[in-house]
Amino acid sequence: MNQGSRIAPYAYVLPLVALLLFVFGYPVVRIFEFSFKMVRGIDGPWIGFRNYDLVLSQPLFWESVRHNLQLLLAVPCMVVWSLLIAVVLFDRLRGWKLYRVVLFLPYILAVPIIAVVMKKMFQFNGPVNEVLRWIGLDFLALDWIGSTDVALWTVMLLIIWRESALGIILFLARLLALDESLIESAKLEGASWWQRLRYVIVPQMKVVIEFYVVVSVITILSSVFSYVYMIGGGRGGPGTSTTVVELYIFNALIRTSLPGIASAVSAMLFLVSLLLIVPLFAVRRRANEEEVA
Amino acid sequence: MRTRANEYVSRRQALRSTAAFGAGAALAGAMPWTTARADSPAITMWWWGEQELPGLQAVVDEAVAGYADAAVTTMLQDTAVVISQFQTAAAAGEAPDIQFLWNGIYHMESVWLGYLQPLNGLVADQVIKDSSPTLLSNFGGQTYRLGWYPLPMIWIYNKDLYDQAGLNADEAPKTWDEFLDACDKLKSKGFAPVGGGIQDGYWGEWYFGHALAQNADTAGEAIDLFTGDRDFRDPKYHEHWVRLEELKKLDFLNSEMSSTELYPGIDLIVAGKVGAGLSIGSRLPADSKAIGGRIGTMVMPVYGKGKLAGQPIFDSQGLGISAVATNPEAAAKFLEYMQAPAQLQSLHEKTGWLPANVNFDASVITDAAVADMWQRWGMSPNIPYLANMVPGQFYEQALLPAAQQVVEGSITGEQAGEMAYNVAKEWREFNPDIVENYKKWAIDLAG
Repeated sequence: MNQGSRIAPYAYVLPLVALLLFVFGYPVVRIFEFSFKMVRGIDGPWIGFRNYDLVLSQPLFWESVRHNLQLLLAVPCMVVWSLLIAVVLFDRLRGWKLYRVVLFLPYILAVPIIAVVMKKMFQFNGPVNEVLRWIGLDFLALDWIGSTDVALWTVMLLIIWRESALGIILFLARLLALDESLIESAKLEGASWWQRLRYVIVPQMKVVIEFYVVVSVITILSSVFSYVYMIGGGRGGPGTSTTVVELYIFNALIRTSLPGIASAVSAMLFLVSLLLIVPLFAVRRRANEEEVA
Repeated sequence: MRTRANEYVSRRQALRSTAAFGAGAALAGAMPWTTARADSPAITMWWWGEQELPGLQAVVDEAVAGYADAAVTTMLQDTAVVISQFQTAAAAGEAPDIQFLWNGIYHMESVWLGYLQPLNGLVADQVIKDSSPTLLSNFGGQTYRLGWYPLPMIWIYNKDLYDQAGLNADEAPKTWDEFLDACDKLKSKGFAPVGGGIQDGYWGEWYFGHALAQNADTAGEAIDLFTGDRDFRDPKYHEHWVRLEELKKLDFLNSEMSSTELYPGIDLIVAGKVGAGLSIGSRLPADSKAIGGRIGTMVMPVYGKGKLAGQPIFDSQGLGISAVATNPEAAAKFLEYMQAPAQLQSLHEKTGWLPANVNFDASVITDAAVADMWQRWGMSPNIPYLANMVPGQFYEQALLPAAQQVVEGSITGEQAGEMAYNVAKEWREFNPDIVENYKKWAIDLAG
């Protein structure tokens, strides 16, 4: 290969790389720069690691982190729920194509639309509690969005419901690509539905499950802003019970005029997300290797 | 931030290009209606308010169209960027000549950053005073805003419910004890006596604005709570949250309060499901009309011993002039024009609400409840809205969460005071430079 042909591929991608560096790289550099400054207006003096010190010593920041971690409990629920629904649909029960569309619907609707409806449903005197009271389950008629003890769980419920839609579609797509002769053989051997799921289907879906888990973890840690913004009254409330790291950053930047603090937390979140992307790439590499094999 | 500023510069340049094209065409005789303005100065105005006061766009449009001494270009700002967009542009030297300004700390930070210029000397002193900018527009002895339209902070009560509870609907409770007695009677008739909605937190702000004044002698005293010269743990400075806790414990707050937002909460009072609660003057015309005038207004019933207790609270939205205004004199003249009687009348006609200017001819107000409120809140001695002095960090991390948790019953009023003290302390650590400005501001607010 001559020198020109070696350079050519790089030359082709150079414009896009330059654009990406400008669009993403420049802001990232500025965020790291701001994280070491006391920014007032659009700039400010260097203050070393003081922003990081202030953030790491603030109870609200750690409470926000704890809420993100608590929301991670949603991931196993999403995986199990998605898998079960996907397998049921795979059994092609009557009307399964319609169910598939209905189940995927929440994923294509914007979070604010869903959240507004959910908020109405889950008001203290709203339809959910009215039904619960009507059937005599008064003790379950909680203040779903108005109680500091319950609100984060309500957010989690909403996340599970909506984000599972992606899992269902991913898992179903993988199921439809499986070699059905294996499943048929297991049936002929007398394997029960549960045994077929446990020993035949799940092992073959390992890679897609891992992929979904990693994507979901990243989502929970860095993409739940719209959920908590809508359910938490735009404030991470009641109290600070639904504040997550993203909302903390938003408040620091927009509502408390502390761009330096917002940048410090953004920088930390960026690094954590970067760390999580490593296993994501590992999963994808393994998937490619398995396909080649 | 820079990206956003650049986007705006492009937009401004586009507007200027359009204006330049128009001017060129006018010179050529193609657009005679702009000829009169060929030598007029050009000023820009960024404003906000259509979002909370529908019809304001028409007011602005009419003012611009009818003003012959300058070519005014306006832009309605999005709520989320009213402050940040202005500050970014000001830092880049590209701020508009006239900027919409919320009161108190919402524009005072821009004053401290040097992005606004005082109106004294630019706008006639009497015009500034008559526009009702309120005390919170002052810093260093100078005023930085003109009032535009008022926001009287009020308590309302449903007169029909008061009648049904055997209360005198024409005489609102004046003291806290009278209020508790009224709540008791309402409750005995099966009504939720007081409340609204606090799910989005704003009710907590309004409550704080009303109740902190009860034990304060001056607005500057409230500032001291943030600078550290006074302490929220002092019972007198968290008594307001203790009183809220009292309402909760007596079961006087409506049951859905924690899961209901501010405005739907006010709707509950208008709908006759809650006896009384907090509201804002600009809602009163519509609410009064909705229930045939059977709505009463009152100041917060008095329990405190401060000089500000029992006084009507008056706030206003306003406009100021940026420090980088290319022609501040022309901007000032346009602001004075907007305070002229015809413009005040236009605001009333097009929005159904009132201008903040005390020279507005209030005889045109037809609703008795609104007329009564304007007389008591707008035309009588009033006090500023103390919640507008609260630092953003305190607002987000103490003021709103504390009230929500007291209403929910998860913390006591005393614990709310402790929380407020801790967050105020954190705010001082995060903002040592702004603390100094707050201390200077306290001097202006001590009177």
